[in-house]
Amino acid sequence: MRNILLIARREYLEQIHGRAFMFSTVLVPLLIVALLGWGAMTDRKAVAGKHVAVAADNAEIASRVRYEMLNDKDANFTVELVAPATQQDIAALLKQVHEKAIDGLLSINTSSNGAVTATYTSLSTGDFANVGGLQNALNRGLIDERMIVKGIKPTDADELLKRVKIETLQLNQQGETEQSKGVSPFYKAVMMAFLLSMPIMLYGLDMARAIIEEKTSRIFEVMLSITRADDLLAGKLVGVGAVGLTQIAIWMTGATLLLGTSLAANVLTGNLSIHFSLMEGLFFPVYFVLGFALFSTLFSGLAATCETSQDLQKFMPLAIVPLYLSMGILPVLLKDPNSIWAIAASLFPLTAPYVMLPRMGLESVPLWQLAASIGLLILAIWATLWFSSRLYRVGILMYGKRATLPELLRWLRYS
Amino acid sequence: MPVVQLAGVTKAYENKIAVSDLSLSIEAGQMFGLLGPNGAGKTSSIRMMMGITVPDSGSITLFDKPFARNSLERVGYLPEERGLYKKMKVLDQLIFFGQLHGLTGDEAQKRAVAWARRMEISGALPKRTEELSKGMQQKIQFIATLLHDPNLIVMDEPFSGLDPVNAVLVEQTLLELKSQGKAILFSTHRMDQVEKLCDSICLINNGEAVLEGNLRQIKARYERNHVIVEFEGNPAFLSSNEVAQAKNFSGHAEITLKPNGDAQKLLHEAAAIATIFRFELVEPSLEEIFIQTVGVNADA
Repeated sequence: MRNILLIARREYLEQIHGRAFMFSTVLVPLLIVALLGWGAMTDRKAVAGKHVAVAADNAEIASRVRYEMLNDKDANFTVELVAPATQQDIAALLKQVHEKAIDGLLSINTSSNGAVTATYTSLSTGDFANVGGLQNALNRGLIDERMIVKGIKPTDADELLKRVKIETLQLNQQGETEQSKGVSPFYKAVMMAFLLSMPIMLYGLDMARAIIEEKTSRIFEVMLSITRADDLLAGKLVGVGAVGLTQIAIWMTGATLLLGTSLAANVLTGNLSIHFSLMEGLFFPVYFVLGFALFSTLFSGLAATCETSQDLQKFMPLAIVPLYLSMGILPVLLKDPNSIWAIAASLFPLTAPYVMLPRMGLESVPLWQLAASIGLLILAIWATLWFSSRLYRVGILMYGKRATLPELLRWLRYS
Repeated sequence: MPVVQLAGVTKAYENKIAVSDLSLSIEAGQMFGLLGPNGAGKTSSIRMMMGITVPDSGSITLFDKPFARNSLERVGYLPEERGLYKKMKVLDQLIFFGQLHGLTGDEAQKRAVAWARRMEISGALPKRTEELSKGMQQKIQFIATLLHDPNLIVMDEPFSGLDPVNAVLVEQTLLELKSQGKAILFSTHRMDQVEKLCDSICLINNGEAVLEGNLRQIKARYERNHVIVEFEGNPAFLSSNEVAQAKNFSGHAEITLKPNGDAQKLLHEAAAIATIFRFELVEPSLEEIFIQTVGVNADA
């Protein structure tokens, strides 16, 4: 035990003073700040709204569509009306779109039999959000106009078509309801996945690279003449894991200090208002430690079979694929955090460290699922430890050539 | 009482037998040379002594007890290649290794500073290992091996990377440790150093001991058919009928006589055509014994 602690202390001190630690301690929060900044900017940009010209041959319809567009507070359009519009008017407006004087042109045509067609022209091919808002305004404007034509007063038409907004509420663990926070669950889920995956990956791979370096520099020769291979592996895991926890503690302290500032209060409002529950705070280090232990143990064993860092590349999918799967499941998670896929991903040991916490932020996860997720992770760590310690014991003393699969299987049998 | 004893030790890896039925014993105060060509099984034997690997059969005794890991606290091991953490500062590194061997942090620091002074590397203590030359790193490894005052010292190529001045410093330190009753095993290709320092040797080839015992006694087994001649003048006597092989190094010749070659006859022939300063009939050198035993093609 003394040797495990000495090895852990050495690993801890070396990593803490290393450039990778300094770099990742600063880089990850910067990425998150960039993400939040982008979110805030997108929000403000949405508030600024698009400048759209409406050109129509029917002035009444154009006027009703304009009215509906201006009524859409979320879209916050600036509308320029040209009706009735000639071909020259439309050509002039298209020129303005091209010169970026306006963001887009909504052109509405009414045929002789009363059928209405519309086109929206802009410089952006992916302007789906605006098209959705325009379509809504166009259809409401047409219905308005048709109701007025049928003799209904414009005020009555407005009353009949009055929108009802669905307010979303979330039931918490205590059975109380709280207001949903717009798109903030999205930012929160991404942030959680980021905060967990980056250190787990960084330190896991860093440890794997250190093992290869120590193997090639023959430090293991000396270390194994003093201590057992299992103690060496355990010391490394404890030391590097403690580095990860230190980093998270630094981030949390930094975040707590930053959240008290007026700048944070300005940015983290509305859609970006992000709150963490006590449960999330408690389970964050638990999932970090378990996730780190799983991936680091796995990569320690595999690294011991490699001669160079390039050899390690072939095992990278084992680290990357679960991460991609977890990131890929986030939209499903946001749509329905209780779906079978979300539950499966939060229970499956390779994805659970990245998925369970974002899921906890979106819904009250049943306790049995939390227990099962942690239980399965511990079981997976135990199995990985069995597998990796065998590879490690033999692998760190094998020099000169990369181990083949039959050799790896033999190593597992030997030790 | 032997400090370390191997009895019928065998180790095989997949299809290769690395060590076969090896037995040897080292006493306190003895300097022991483990010799052999590359791939002969020296490192495999040392690894088993250090508990890095386990023998398939046979037994290893440390300090008169069956091998146990806690006995390794009394053993110092210097591997062939530098086993140091590159990014770590030298003093921290020495303290770390001392602590792993059971010393307290303070005691390890005190000893590290004293050893650094003795090995003339005090200035390197605050530096990172990667900043130092190969020879300096070897001296640090040497200190790390000795810091906990081991009773058994195992060294694989201890003179590797050292210049002649530092090699002498290491030699003197080893002799001093020997006089303190430490058992020292070293594995090397430098036959001159083995000849100078070792009391006993074990020469292994293809995993088997082919020559072992007291160095003087081993050498005495060989016929005195080697002649060292220092001369000035005509070297034609080196082609005499008495000579099997001769190497001439500008006035210093090493001659191997034919099986029935007559040294006196050769001396007369030489004296007739050259001025002779030295004519000495000697035992074969360890290098010659080595080559003769493991074959001229051995990569030594």
